Amino acid sequence: MTHDPTFWLLARASGLTAYVLLTLSVLAGLVVKSRPFGRAVKTASATDVHRYLAFLGLGMLALHGAALVLDRTVRISLAALFVPFAAGYRPAAVAAGVAAAELAALVAASFSLRRFIGNRNWRRLHWATYLVFLLGTVHGLAAGTDSSRPWAVALYLGAAGAVASATAWRALSRPVRPTRQRSA
Amino acid sequence: MFRIAIDGSLCSGFGDCADLAPDVFELDSHGKAALRRGETADPAVLDAVSACPMGAISVVEEDAA
Repeated sequence: MTHDPTFWLLARASGLTAYVLLTLSVLAGLVVKSRPFGRAVKTASATDVHRYLAFLGLGMLALHGAALVLDRTVRISLAALFVPFAAGYRPAAVAAGVAAAELAALVAASFSLRRFIGNRNWRRLHWATYLVFLLGTVHGLAAGTDSSRPWAVALYLGAAGAVASATAWRALSRPVRPTRQRSA
Repeated sequence: MFRIAIDGSLCSGFGDCADLAPDVFELDSHGKAALRRGETADPAVLDAVSACPMGAISVVEEDAA
């Protein structure tokens, strides 16, 4: 009997979409800090876009996990979604994804927990996003069944290149000084 | 002197301003930025302006009378 490929297709599509959305969220977050577009992009807009993309990306991650549990092409139990190395299918590659997703959820949740953990710790925790990106990229390349396709390689290379470039820009750019108005 | 204003409709309570210029900014009981004083000579407010993720702080530099 052939099985219904719906959830398998959904799992692959949502995984790739989550990766794209979260990469764009990282880039938007870096735009908030380094302002490469100067005054053409309002800081508040960049911040909103950053948070919205992160929210959408996490939603897509949830869909990715749910589709993998429902799908029968690879066996992923509900427990394996949350416990690293519990999956029978490519355990290390799936573990990287589980760790990335949990860390991403923690970084996102920390925004609401700022008042308890303090703004400084919230910002420190945001550095973990680089680990999320690294783990997510490794997970996509090693666990994804589309990774050998040229478009998938281009996607991962493009994402890694964009994040590396934006980070370099962020590191090299000086904070923008506000235009000072003078009044007598 | 710098005259400072916070746009309360933009502030989301990131708290960067209170970290950078604690003499000028604090977070109120709602977690939003509030001014401890309306004017200061401390140039740290300019860092707070540029650090604010919402662009909610504006500063006008005034000549001393």
